[in-house]
Amino acid sequence: MGKIILEASNINKSFINGANKLNVLTDLSLKLEEGKIITIMGQSGVGKSTLLSILGTLDSPDTGLIKINGRNVEKLNEDELCLLRNKELGFIFQFHHLLPEFTALENILMPSWISNNENVSNNHALDLLSKVDLIDRKDHYPNQLSGGERCRVAVLRAIINKPSLVMADEPTGNLDLKNSEKLIDLLVEINKNFGQSIVMTTHNPEVANIGDYRLVLNDGKLKPYK
Amino acid sequence: MSFVRVNLITLITNRFSDSPVGHGRVTGILSMVGMGVGCFALIIALSIINGFESIVKSKLKDFNGDLRLSGFINDLEIENLRKIPGVISVMPYMERKGLISNNKDYRVVSLKAVDMNKFDDFYALNLNGGIPSEDGILIGKDLAYRLGKDIGDEIEISSPIDQSFILGFPPKKKAKIDGIFSTRILDYDDKFVFVPLKIGYSLFNRKSKLDGFDVRLSPNIDIEAWKNINIANLPNEISLQTWQDLNRSLVDAMKLERLATVIILSLIFLVAAFNLAASLSLISILKVKETGILRIMGASNTLVRKIILTMGLAKGIKGALLGVIIGIVIVCFQSITGIIPIPSDIYFTSSLPMIIYTKDVIIICFIALFFIFISSLIASQKVTHIKPKDALQWVK
Repeated sequence: MGKIILEASNINKSFINGANKLNVLTDLSLKLEEGKIITIMGQSGVGKSTLLSILGTLDSPDTGLIKINGRNVEKLNEDELCLLRNKELGFIFQFHHLLPEFTALENILMPSWISNNENVSNNHALDLLSKVDLIDRKDHYPNQLSGGERCRVAVLRAIINKPSLVMADEPTGNLDLKNSEKLIDLLVEINKNFGQSIVMTTHNPEVANIGDYRLVLNDGKLKPYK
Repeated sequence: MSFVRVNLITLITNRFSDSPVGHGRVTGILSMVGMGVGCFALIIALSIINGFESIVKSKLKDFNGDLRLSGFINDLEIENLRKIPGVISVMPYMERKGLISNNKDYRVVSLKAVDMNKFDDFYALNLNGGIPSEDGILIGKDLAYRLGKDIGDEIEISSPIDQSFILGFPPKKKAKIDGIFSTRILDYDDKFVFVPLKIGYSLFNRKSKLDGFDVRLSPNIDIEAWKNINIANLPNEISLQTWQDLNRSLVDAMKLERLATVIILSLIFLVAAFNLAASLSLISILKVKETGILRIMGASNTLVRKIILTMGLAKGIKGALLGVIIGIVIVCFQSITGIIPIPSDIYFTSSLPMIIYTKDVIIICFIALFFIFISSLIASQKVTHIKPKDALQWVK
């Protein structure tokens, strides 16, 4: 067994709406080794994005323990959490969430600028753009890019700081078949070349097939997908 | 904070500020204008106050000299006083409350006996007529008007406090009005009568020696500093007062007026600061998603707050600077050209006097910066209240 990158134990999360309590995650646990991919499927509203937010330190569970690279995130203060997100986590969203005021290249470099990471050079970002055939689009703003191009920029942004774990929340959910395939190929290539672990939620069983572990979220628990 | 970090804050601030965000941009411009108007109004108001204060001070000094030496001055010699560095002119004087009468019309005045030979050198008064002869006097314009007298007319003066009433009515002395002065300061034109020292000696019997010396210093000398240096060399019985000491109530009133103006006009800054805070809050709300993305990428709350703070500072300072620059340009233009007229029969001058000092500009900038910083700080605190994951769902 390789190094454990992500460990979640007994995660519970519920939302209260007036008198109603909705349990979204119930005693959920998972482990992810270095360089492995977990794909999580499930119906809309079942809690996939909530789970990803909790695993990515964007939200906190009601109870439970999350460790990223052996560090208990509950014990980290706000600044340490920011540093963790910046250095060790990458995020890819269905709606790309690029900064509209910045060019493709600037969006990709933004995490390295935030961490003042001098190891990441413009040339590295340009190399990555070349690899995804977007070098001609480096100075384009997000509204000047197609949906597929935006997603690829978002993927590059997620890996620019060479994080050990990438969280992808339905990255192909808004793409056509061709662009979905391109994006999945890119994620697989990243996983293969850079050894990054990936947690990905999706509706699409074909996309889920890239996972070393394929799980389905149902009734607040993760079960193997058959 | 590293150079790269500073540049990142500046870069993000500029991009966020430049991006079209509808009402956010409009309110941003309005808050800039508000700060500008505040600075402009304060610069103009203070420069006008400075201008009039300068004229009043100049007239007070023209009338009284820069300093007054009084008290037990018997051992002081004029020639010795003139040798003190900085002194350019010394005027001996005697001063009493007295009466001036025209038939049965009596008026209480201040009779000031001075050396008429030095009058022209020492005083810079707007004088009609000439320097008095041995039996001549100078009266103020208002007093002349009330008494119905003009240059060349005769009038009677007396100093009742120098006479014993047991011996009868105080002796009167007839004097010719050789000149009429006009200062238009306080009630000086109605109150003061200049008489030659010779008349003073003959009328002021109770104490027939000089009351003191009025001293005029070189124009570039700091009067207060000069006083502090030289008072140590004088006997304790001698009092040394500056023109400000002699006109304390007027000087204090002018200071109070200036303070009140600054406080009242600072309310413009307060309103502009509310506007700036509201504008920044609106921009913060419009940029919630973007700041959420930055936080997801690892930007700390501190960094995000600094971005909003920098946006507020940039907007506020731009507006304030614009107001200060326009204000200073107008003050300089008016000082050089005197293009804005005012009625000279009401005021001392025919054009609006405007003077601005560096310290005033610094104070105005400090007040503006204070309000800008506080409003930006308040707005910046709000931006991190929303969780990053909720920020992504934010719909503008």
